[in-house]
Amino acid sequence: MTALARELDQGVIDVGGASVRWFAAGATSGPLPPVVLIHGTGGSTEGHFSFVFPMLARTQRVISVDLAPPPGNAELTVDDLERQVAAVVDREAPTGPVSVLGYSLGAVVAASYAAHHADRVQNLVLVAGWITTDTQQLLRQDVQQQLRGGDPVAFKKLSLLLAFGVPFLAKRSFDELATVAPPPSGTPEFLARLASLNRRIDIADEVAAIRAVTLVIGCTHDLMVPRHHSLALFGAIEDARYLELSSGHALVFERPAELHLAVRTFLSQPSRHPAGTVIPAEQP
Amino acid sequence: MTEQVEVVVIGAGFAGIGLGIRLKRRGFDSFVVLERAHDVGGTWRDNTYPGVACDVPAHLYSYSFRLNPNWSAVQAPGAEIWQYLRDGVREEGVTEHVRLNTEVTAARWDESSARWQVETSNGSWSAKFVVTACGHLSDTRLPDIEGLDAFAGELFHTARWNHGVPLEGKRVGLVGTGASAVQVLPELQRVAAEVVVFQRSAPYFFVPSGRRPEFSAAQKRLFARYPAAMRELRSEVFWYSEGNFPARVRVPALLERARNASLRYLESAVTDPELRAKLTPDYEIGCKRILGPGRYYASMVQDNVTLEASALSRIEGSTAHSAGGAAFDLDVLVFATGFDATEPRFATLIRGRDGSTLAESWSDGMKSTASISTPGFPNLFITNGANTSLGHNSSVYIIESQIDYILSALDYVDATGVAFVEATPEGEHAYVDDLARRSEGSVWLSGGCHNWYVDPRTQTLTVTWPDFAYQFREENSRFDPASYHLATRE
Repeated sequence: MTALARELDQGVIDVGGASVRWFAAGATSGPLPPVVLIHGTGGSTEGHFSFVFPMLARTQRVISVDLAPPPGNAELTVDDLERQVAAVVDREAPTGPVSVLGYSLGAVVAASYAAHHADRVQNLVLVAGWITTDTQQLLRQDVQQQLRGGDPVAFKKLSLLLAFGVPFLAKRSFDELATVAPPPSGTPEFLARLASLNRRIDIADEVAAIRAVTLVIGCTHDLMVPRHHSLALFGAIEDARYLELSSGHALVFERPAELHLAVRTFLSQPSRHPAGTVIPAEQP
Repeated sequence: MTEQVEVVVIGAGFAGIGLGIRLKRRGFDSFVVLERAHDVGGTWRDNTYPGVACDVPAHLYSYSFRLNPNWSAVQAPGAEIWQYLRDGVREEGVTEHVRLNTEVTAARWDESSARWQVETSNGSWSAKFVVTACGHLSDTRLPDIEGLDAFAGELFHTARWNHGVPLEGKRVGLVGTGASAVQVLPELQRVAAEVVVFQRSAPYFFVPSGRRPEFSAAQKRLFARYPAAMRELRSEVFWYSEGNFPARVRVPALLERARNASLRYLESAVTDPELRAKLTPDYEIGCKRILGPGRYYASMVQDNVTLEASALSRIEGSTAHSAGGAAFDLDVLVFATGFDATEPRFATLIRGRDGSTLAESWSDGMKSTASISTPGFPNLFITNGANTSLGHNSSVYIIESQIDYILSALDYVDATGVAFVEATPEGEHAYVDDLARRSEGSVWLSGGCHNWYVDPRTQTLTVTWPDFAYQFREENSRFDPASYHLATRE
């Protein structure tokens, strides 16, 4: 069904009543630990990693998790999502070290998972992630929430305005923007629960406990999770290095190749840059 | 008399000039750049056909260390690129190192002195290092066609355009549908009475962006006043181009997206179903170079253009016969039939440690360590050689990576005092095997076309680098002594 990669393993597992789809591809034997990809709000493996997943699978084992709603209407927690990741990792890479990459809310989940599984997570990539939701984000979410129900056309336009970087939007036509990203994945109910979770993030204690070799990637033009959040992660995580890319929050659509190669380069030799390094972006 | 220098560079195109500039900037003067032609500029000197331009955006297809705010258009005209290269040579003080009209006839490694002896039409040089910078697109290829020698009209290759032949009102045959052909067709269509295009296989095109193709005076002044804007544009174009790589290794969704976009563009540009069918490629997108759209389809639908969807097969007097059985009376034949990329001619001139030529060493296809060195040829660096061409991004980025590699090799030899460095066979095997693995299943090998990236003798991908451009720089821009035998002085 999916056109994600040419040779693909996939399945669905039950995690506390949630049906969690997972994908895996790439050689199982190789020098690099498998990397686990965790998408962001409104995403999925196909939605956020249609470039990164198949291309990383050319050089190493890649596993991904499609986060799913737990049954009922209870307030969603980071822990709920983290358990889904843990279940897929335990199934697909039951022993040995892993690398974990999270994007946006997926970075929050990845950071928390890495803190709680320091024995497993050797390398960590946090793309446009954050530690604590702040007032700028709450204000943005308030407006989004009001428009979502009241004015769907304005909501869609605001979403583009927030997701993509100013320079990216400036150079594209409305027609081009219509095809640049797939529509969000997930039912309206699940998206609403994720939106609510986004308002309540506070993983300061977890982040302090991360021991993995970490790459923090911030986006210069990000309005949804502005770069100061990535800088905060860079400061908070002991063995972190920082790379900033010229993109809005929608890095996976604006600069997928640059993201992929930054990750591939890091995973091939995580400690090439010592902790504390600000890695310069490639200057072609 | 033999002149002694540290470095002989063969060829004054993008690679040779770029290396010359970088050497000068380091304050290094012991080098010459040997150029067989009357001027510098490589492919941009040779290609003067009407409509010649670079289909890679100019702000990317230029040196990162010599950005140019004045490019007139996204796809810069060939003459502008040629001038850019000539300006570079002059302004950077490379002129005094260039030897024009100097054709290399032989280069031989002398074991006893551990130096290269280079013979030319215009003197001899002895050098510690030789760098070949001869390009992929320098030796023109004409197809072997019966009766061609006796063609009653005029004929020439696009890279050797005969400007003395007027085309106004003439019947012109255009052989080939590659990058040069699609640029020259609109110009031919405009002036000729009739144009017949001989097409073996139809090209795919990029979808036009809809953005203004020329840079305004205001944009150019901004680039001059605020160079960071130029750098940002360069980065954008680079990463956009890198985004086209996954389709080459057949990532299903991205391959389909690229193919559909190109076919939709054909559909919108050509309404006649019969012509559209002939213009629909019969192979996978990316197997051959995807071309800049320009005005090719718009020219193709004009009344004075005929598309013959088969090869030129035979000439009788002034009549050109196609493989499909059609016959056309023509005054001029233009060959846009490309270059010899898999078997470069310079390889026949270079003799290594055991006296045999590089061409002999490459009899089963070009191969290398780091796309730059090969065993048996100490202190020889080959730019634009094995696995260096890109189907999706700027070759100048590859050239700059190779220049960095060469400079770091010179530094290494200088710092360690080794007599020479020579790629090991083990290192080369490992590199070749690794690239073969990366090429598996790519559109170049399994896309159902004939292209100039694959060696016809072995069906191995020897011209193209089968990965992202960035990855080339990541792996091949720093000299790695581990892949070399390091000869110590006696």
